[in-house]
Amino acid sequence: MNRKQWLLGRREVTLALACVAASVLFQFLSPYFLTGPNLITILRNSVELLLVSLGISFILATAGIDIAVGGALGICAIFVGWSVQGGWPLAAVLLIGPLIGTALGLVSAALIVWGKIPPIIATLGLFGVYRAAIFLLLGGSWISGLPDTLGPAVNTSIGGVPVVGVYVLLCYLVGWLIIRWLPLGPAILATGGNERAARLSGVPIGKTKFFVYGFTGLLVGFAAVLYVARYRNVETSTGGLVALDAIVASVLGGASVLGGKANLLGTMFGVLLVRLLQNGFVLMGAPSLWEQVITGFLLLVVLILDALAGNRRVNGSRLVTMP
Amino acid sequence: MRIALKQIRFSGLLLLWLIALAIFAVWAPAFFSLANFTSILQFSTLLALVTLGQTFVILTGGGGIDLSVGGIVSLSGLFIAFLIKQGTPALAAGIAGVLFGGILGSINGLIITRLRLLPLIVTLGTYYAYNGLALALTGGAPISGLPTSFGIVGQNAVLSIPLHTLLLVLPIFLVMMFILAQTPLGRWIYAIGGNEKAARLVGLPVNTIRLGVYGLSGILAALAGLVADSWLLSARPNIGDNLELLSLTATLLGGTSIFGGSGGLAGSLIAVLFFTSLQVGLQMLNVNNIWQLGLVGLFLIGSVLLDRIIRTAGTK
Repeated sequence: MNRKQWLLGRREVTLALACVAASVLFQFLSPYFLTGPNLITILRNSVELLLVSLGISFILATAGIDIAVGGALGICAIFVGWSVQGGWPLAAVLLIGPLIGTALGLVSAALIVWGKIPPIIATLGLFGVYRAAIFLLLGGSWISGLPDTLGPAVNTSIGGVPVVGVYVLLCYLVGWLIIRWLPLGPAILATGGNERAARLSGVPIGKTKFFVYGFTGLLVGFAAVLYVARYRNVETSTGGLVALDAIVASVLGGASVLGGKANLLGTMFGVLLVRLLQNGFVLMGAPSLWEQVITGFLLLVVLILDALAGNRRVNGSRLVTMP
Repeated sequence: MRIALKQIRFSGLLLLWLIALAIFAVWAPAFFSLANFTSILQFSTLLALVTLGQTFVILTGGGGIDLSVGGIVSLSGLFIAFLIKQGTPALAAGIAGVLFGGILGSINGLIITRLRLLPLIVTLGTYYAYNGLALALTGGAPISGLPTSFGIVGQNAVLSIPLHTLLLVLPIFLVMMFILAQTPLGRWIYAIGGNEKAARLVGLPVNTIRLGVYGLSGILAALAGLVADSWLLSARPNIGDNLELLSLTATLLGGTSIFGGSGGLAGSLIAVLFFTSLQVGLQMLNVNNIWQLGLVGLFLIGSVLLDRIIRTAGTK
């Protein structure tokens, strides 16, 4: 992270402008768009994705990927839901999500580090396993009508700022501190930039990967807590599309699937842009089924624009085989 | 040494299949009937076609993977059904649909080869775009009520072998086997997957071949969509769900290396038959289909782990 790379953070400026442009356009098409309640809805809808995307940004920085985060979020949400149902004390409910999440993240890391399985394969496999596990755990029905145990810790505000927002900002602050000020930060970027060189220079590759997947699991677990607090139910589709949304947001924010880059502020704006577009299209009357299409095309457009802008490496190494 | 490793892998897969068959033989004796044999083949066609395409894509290396196949199956199935509903003759609609699938696949190939982007992330994008379009354009509802005459290929069997197995899967499998084993093109595919830089240096048309395998994958996925239409006489927007996971797993379980350059089609096809036996068997045991997805996920991880272990043992 030298000065030059830091300046490249202009990405978030572009994204902020894109957010403004999209807002103006949507306001033109639907007068309801730029109202307080709708903007709060967009922010509220962004919370879980903000947390998951922070983790995914870390994983992408190591040239990894995690397709299974959606399933992991679903499993965490089930356990959080059960603990609320079982009348556990607030502290225990708050802990169980991140605990399970971290455990699941470490499972991915173990497969990737010890099993030497490419991240895409390992997490694609886990995706199937988690989907089946969610179905089994829920037995095909929903957990619904949960009491508002989590309300006091989640749905309050400090000085007018919703406490959820504070949580998210704190998480990003921690993320920023790690990338910028801890030895772990350069280790993460070096692992993604050139794994072999990093290994030869003594970077603890395995530990670094365990950290990023574990950290992501922690965030996913926390996102599950917030999800349950907000909706007070858990269904089989909980967490469904979050993996793609998070990858799109991170790539929008300036992360590269090839690793070696992290732009947390960019990721934040990337999430906002994704949610803003989804919200806008729904307000325009497009059925919510279009969300998936919008996100997919957004990812493709960003990739193509990035590639056309000459953001490529020498010698065609963009097309390197997977680690 | 190499051949020996392959055989371990291959017989491991066969063993897995036999174990599954043995379990079904004990728990569901009706599993071993001619009718059930037909239904296993019937159910296997979609996955078989998609997996043949996936195998070529992965063999060609360069991080080759096609996650969008399921979306292409759904979308071209809908396209064909839509055309027939508009009064297009079935044959023309089928051909148009297969071409349409080829275009969808070529979009992947073009983005990957022209812009030098990673196949994984590109096809993840088109996975959501194609699947999403299939759902969004139909509102999630199937296009049903295709004329019964359209069901000839999808619903009939000769000597207990479904027509589409005879007319599509077998010939395509044999032709692709022939290409891979007997033609320069086949050698080139292995060469590109094995060492892309060297392949480029000796002047192989790497980009053209890569574009071709993604296009082929799209065409085969569209054929799967056609078979599904003809079989069910309706096009479901989610018919291709999970086919990417299943085809990828079948390919890897069948012995093709995720890095490309080694493997083949026979293993993939056996893996497909294994999965379908599992699916049909689980159905007979009244076990929810979601189990199949979970098991396949486990097999995917297990097969790659096993591959690692065998390979490390082989190099020592």
